[in-house]
Amino acid sequence: MSTTTSVIDRLRARIGVAGEPVTATVEAGHVRRFADAIGDPNPRWKKEAPPTFLVALVPVALHLSEAEEYGKGWLNGGNRFEYLAPVMIGDRITATGRVADVYEKSGSSGSLLFIIFETEYVNESDTTVARLRGTMIRR
Amino acid sequence: MKVEVGQELPDLVKHPTTRQLVQYAGAQGDFYEIHYDQDYARSVGLPGVILHGLLKAGFLGQLVTDWIGDRGTVKTFEVSYRGIDMPGHPYTCRGRVTRVEGKEVELEVWGEDKDGKRTTVGIATVELSS
Repeated sequence: MSTTTSVIDRLRARIGVAGEPVTATVEAGHVRRFADAIGDPNPRWKKEAPPTFLVALVPVALHLSEAEEYGKGWLNGGNRFEYLAPVMIGDRITATGRVADVYEKSGSSGSLLFIIFETEYVNESDTTVARLRGTMIRR
Repeated sequence: MKVEVGQELPDLVKHPTTRQLVQYAGAQGDFYEIHYDQDYARSVGLPGVILHGLLKAGFLGQLVTDWIGDRGTVKTFEVSYRGIDMPGHPYTCRGRVTRVEGKEVELEVWGEDKDGKRTTVGIATVELSS
């Protein structure tokens, strides 16, 4: 289908191109609401961010809305976090996202579009604190 | 406490509700309708609203950090979502030690639905502080 092909081509053209960096402060109230939502009462999260908190810190600019021309819904395929330094409350973190890969796979229930993205998180001292690799799927 | 290959992490049983999905949607800033709008979820072929993959990752993160306590830090944490989970059913997080090399420990972690099916699987590596 020509429309589908062009969506994939347009998304593939973005591979490796970094999105606009986004900066945010790790706020105590936000971390508390996040830990509460998970139901994690660990007092450690009064000073530090829990392992998956970075996904909540900032919406990373990837401009993937045109992927919505493909299929009818999104699925999260997986996430991989790499932690290089602790993320503490009060830290000012800059996140930069990029599309790492785009490919189509056909399965038993039709074809799927895979979008692999990577985000790097750097604190105010220019230390990379974490990297996230994620797989988003259109089905 | 000695850490050995084969050691099991204490189970963490969660009882997710639609209220919790809304709470998590707000806390993460993920307002995709499949997590709180039953009609929308059905319109895209789901049986109803489903748990956020990242909420299940959050549960598994808690499993790991509860086990570590103040003995160390998480270095990598990887999860794959293999199946959907619905609110109103218990979600059980489990894990076991798969490798110990000096201060570095690898854990296999997973989340099971009410039928014992592993709908989320993952690996965490942890560095112990002493």
